[in-house]
Amino acid sequence: MKETFTKGMARNIYYGGSLFFLLLFFALSFDTVSELPDRDNRAAITESVELGKKVWEVNNCIGCHTLLGEGAYFAPELGNVVERYGSKAAVKAFIMSRPKDGVPGRRSMPQFNLSEEELQGVADFLEYVGGINTENWPPNIQG
Amino acid sequence: MKYQSQSIAKLYFIAAIGLFVGQILFGVIMGLQYVMGDFLFPYIPFNVARMVHTNLLIVWLLFGFMGASYYLVPEEAERELYAPWLAKLMFWIFLIAGAATILGYLLVPYAELAKLTMNDLLPTMGREFLEQPTITKIGIVIVALSFLFNVGMTVLTGRKTVVTIVLLTGLTGLAVFFLFAFYNPVNVVLDKYFWWWVVHLWVEGVWELIMGAILAFVLIKITGVDREVIEKWLYIIIALTLISGIIGTGHHYFWIGAPGYWQWFGSIFSALEPIPFFVMTLFAFNMVNKRRREHPNKVATLWALGTAVMAFLGAGVWGFLHTLAPVNYYTHGTQITAAHGHMAFYGAYVMIVLTIISYSMPIMRGRTANGPKSQVMEMWSFWLMTVSMVFITLFLTGAGILQVYLQRYSDTPLGFMVVQDKIELFYWMREIAGVIFLIGLILYIMSFFVKHDDEVTA
Amino acid sequence: MNSTVKQSEITTKYHLPGDLAIWVFIFAELLVFGIFFLSYAFSRAGNVELFNESQKMLDTASGAINTLLLITSSYFVVRAVTAIKSDDAQRCVYWLAAALAGGAGFLVIKSLEFADKFSHGISLGTNTFFMFYLSMTFFHFMHVILGMIILAAVLIKARNGGYSAAEHTGVETGASYWHMVDLVWIVLFPLVYVIR
Repeated sequence: MKETFTKGMARNIYYGGSLFFLLLFFALSFDTVSELPDRDNRAAITESVELGKKVWEVNNCIGCHTLLGEGAYFAPELGNVVERYGSKAAVKAFIMSRPKDGVPGRRSMPQFNLSEEELQGVADFLEYVGGINTENWPPNIQG
Repeated sequence: MKYQSQSIAKLYFIAAIGLFVGQILFGVIMGLQYVMGDFLFPYIPFNVARMVHTNLLIVWLLFGFMGASYYLVPEEAERELYAPWLAKLMFWIFLIAGAATILGYLLVPYAELAKLTMNDLLPTMGREFLEQPTITKIGIVIVALSFLFNVGMTVLTGRKTVVTIVLLTGLTGLAVFFLFAFYNPVNVVLDKYFWWWVVHLWVEGVWELIMGAILAFVLIKITGVDREVIEKWLYIIIALTLISGIIGTGHHYFWIGAPGYWQWFGSIFSALEPIPFFVMTLFAFNMVNKRRREHPNKVATLWALGTAVMAFLGAGVWGFLHTLAPVNYYTHGTQITAAHGHMAFYGAYVMIVLTIISYSMPIMRGRTANGPKSQVMEMWSFWLMTVSMVFITLFLTGAGILQVYLQRYSDTPLGFMVVQDKIELFYWMREIAGVIFLIGLILYIMSFFVKHDDEVTA
Repeated sequence: MNSTVKQSEITTKYHLPGDLAIWVFIFAELLVFGIFFLSYAFSRAGNVELFNESQKMLDTASGAINTLLLITSSYFVVRAVTAIKSDDAQRCVYWLAAALAGGAGFLVIKSLEFADKFSHGISLGTNTFFMFYLSMTFFHFMHVILGMIILAAVLIKARNGGYSAAEHTGVETGASYWHMVDLVWIVLFPLVYVIR
């Protein structure tokens, strides 16, 4: 009767265990993707929202902000910003009004010189994100 | 050094350390921006400093992994590298492309960089850690494939060991998962779901295989313990890593729009993720305790033990602190995250690269170990960097706890900017710790240039 | 080797049947399933009505048949180990084949159960009860497959004369794992299907 835990046994557990959990992960991912249509607010993805995501990306908003809690921690969460500011117009107004040389002594947001179309896109994008079923996150309006 | 082509690692390691310095300089800049909000604005806004900081980190670690591979694979496989010229070529391509990208971030507004690099053809820019222009990403794939080919051919046509097979598996996984960086759907939930297939399955998956293999190699060389024992431990560690870490990906799927069952699966499996790091710590200390030789490179041993401990603390313990869904609900996306991230990356990946450099550089320079003056200076740098990182983490944890309470948990939650003002003291202290880290890094570099030292050539 | 084994049987040293590694693995598996069961119990405590209602939709008869199948197949595995201890590799193979048949039966019935649930639109996201029911039984399902692969490997080696009365650690190893899979189901079935 073998009492020792040999290298071969460890190797088998590694191969078997990894394969097992990889398959399980793929199965769960498949299920997740099939459940998404009821959760991810995709009906709200208009052309403007698409443009908004592009603007969001090429200006690297995630470099200062979080979106659904992911990103940088320098500036506020924006997943619920439309709700927090009360309207898309208010969000647009904020972005438009950023002074190009910043606010002296305070964390400053660049002036991106966005067109009206781009601004509307970003606002629509953020409203779309706000409608995703995030299991009740964030805990409150402050994000 | 048994094989000539191992010396290619020197190039990679020098680049790695150079980029590391750049990373920390920008880290110190960001730390200052946290408390002096418009520092360097609008020339280097925070997000630009951040992408430089994080991208430099990833690239220098990749240089480190490649250097480690070029050093240890010929020795393990008992043959010269398959194509040394390819390794040298890829070095320059990677370095120049990387430098160009960083300069692009700094010299040109990001939206401008997107236009210049024709991002619209295949838009992959603008996501965290994946800010590189699409053409840079394609370049990374080419470099990675060439590297894998080179190392793979060496491993497969030479003596295969568990160390090299595990290393190769990890590196292959790294390349494969990077491909998901090219998938950027407009659907934000899908975007985030598969983004984590790059990030989590890298740092809480295949990168741990790379780290384990390098640690095993160094321990075999330094302690002289029987390879069979060390390789068995390596299998156990990576088995635990993947068994916990694959489903553990779910701890990133709590609040991004994925179904609620991830709160259960992600919590349970990711709670197990500290275990492989704990075993790694036991492993490192045990092997050193059972050593069959007194290796003259004491500082390399220090790095090896240190990386196991710091990885366990930073990745394991700090990760565990906020991995359970009920806790994470309040801490998601706060300074707690930043605290964990810093110590985890430093402990696991920065330190393992510094370990292999510490072990192999003297050998590539013609001696078994550096002399006492150099080793002591390097040990000072180890302690300065490690202890200051602990303090960075502690200060950010303090900031995070306060932030969570004031902004998330309280019945009268305060706004983000208001809270940031209130926790400013922690950020100042963090910055001081960061500067000390930089001093430690400078000392580290100085240790390479110590002269008239009694080097050990035995 | 034989005399050494007999020697230690005479002394009161307790021997784990099979490799030490599989016991570490079994312990880890039981730990994970245990956490699952505890989570289920915890979740149920906060959702008793929902759990009771949803539980009614389960096919208890299928679950009971599956329980019988697994217990019987565990018995067959015990017979297989006994056979190889008497150096009867042939019998051992037959008993293992019977055990595999039992396992296959389990898989068929469980698959039919899953198919039935899915056809009624029930999935992981339906409610917390079904999340647990589907994930726990699917997780167990995968372990039954794994156990069958192990038993099949043992069967093939036994057929090729790889085991004997003197050396049959592999058979005991596979048997131990299969018993664990059975044990998990014996807890799972009443917990999820029956207890109200």
